[in-house]
Amino acid sequence: MNRFKSVAYHVSRLSLAAIFIYAGVIKATDVVAFAGQVANYQLLPYAWNFVVAAALPYVEILCGLLLLLNRKVRPSLLVLLFLNSVFIVALASVMMRGFDIDCGCFNPDSNTSTPPIAAIMRDFVFVLLILTGWFFKPASVGNESD
Amino acid sequence: MSNQDFPVVQGRTLIEALILCLLAITVGLCLNFTTVYNAFTGRLVVAGEVAKDIAPADTVPDGTIASPALDPFPVPLEEIDDLLAEGALLIDARSAEDFIAGHLAGAISLPLGQAEQMLSDFSTSVSLDSPLILYCSGYGCPDSHKVGILLIQKGYTDVLVYEGGYPEWRDAGRPIVGGTE
Repeated sequence: MNRFKSVAYHVSRLSLAAIFIYAGVIKATDVVAFAGQVANYQLLPYAWNFVVAAALPYVEILCGLLLLLNRKVRPSLLVLLFLNSVFIVALASVMMRGFDIDCGCFNPDSNTSTPPIAAIMRDFVFVLLILTGWFFKPASVGNESD
Repeated sequence: MSNQDFPVVQGRTLIEALILCLLAITVGLCLNFTTVYNAFTGRLVVAGEVAKDIAPADTVPDGTIASPALDPFPVPLEEIDDLLAEGALLIDARSAEDFIAGHLAGAISLPLGQAEQMLSDFSTSVSLDSPLILYCSGYGCPDSHKVGILLIQKGYTDVLVYEGGYPEWRDAGRPIVGGTE
């Protein structure tokens, strides 16, 4: 059972690291295009979309790197859990308002768009990975107190 | 069932998560300071990139060399009222469907996809020295720049682009109308 927990922990940690480093880097390379996608949600005053677009990719990259390095795993997972919760609420609000927009989750310039319902389902998978990493984290890994 | 099996969020973990967030946000804002500053001051310019996009080999379709003069000049929200008072015409470069769903009060529709076909009719009703303000779906949207370049090529001499476009106008509480009026 301990071996299963250890494998599940490392698989979820490395999967999340790859996903969020990729998502962060690809958005950080085109902040203006990403800001346009954040603006499509129509949740913030227009200029504030640029603040989100400037900061969010670096939060994702930092959390991804820490997970990759197996350091500060629980704080990183907590941040990613919060981010995914916000994404799910934002996407649900888009669906409720009937907008047909791309989620902007990965490549801002992509010609393929991910509808909100598919993005929500994907975010729930990420939440599952986060919870797996959280609960299956061995006490000794990373020399952390958490 | 103990906390060892289902660990709760400890205060230290929460503080470390907050520090991690603040650190990443600070890095992101520092690296993108100019972009964010320009967005707040309405001075975000994408014109150069659009010119490259529309004229990849430093040339435009009629064979002339692309130059900064070909690019419509950006205009911020604060200057729009004065320009409209001086007789400027607002032009919506978004799709006809978006225009009908909602557009800046007083704007006319000239969608990028139909601009070339509509330009001959447009030029008979709007004189070449009329000041024109184009817009589309906000910063990063290239359609207004592309239509602006077509208008400059057609001979229009006073072409501006309002880069904040429809979303900034709407968020500023400015009048939006629907339909084809």
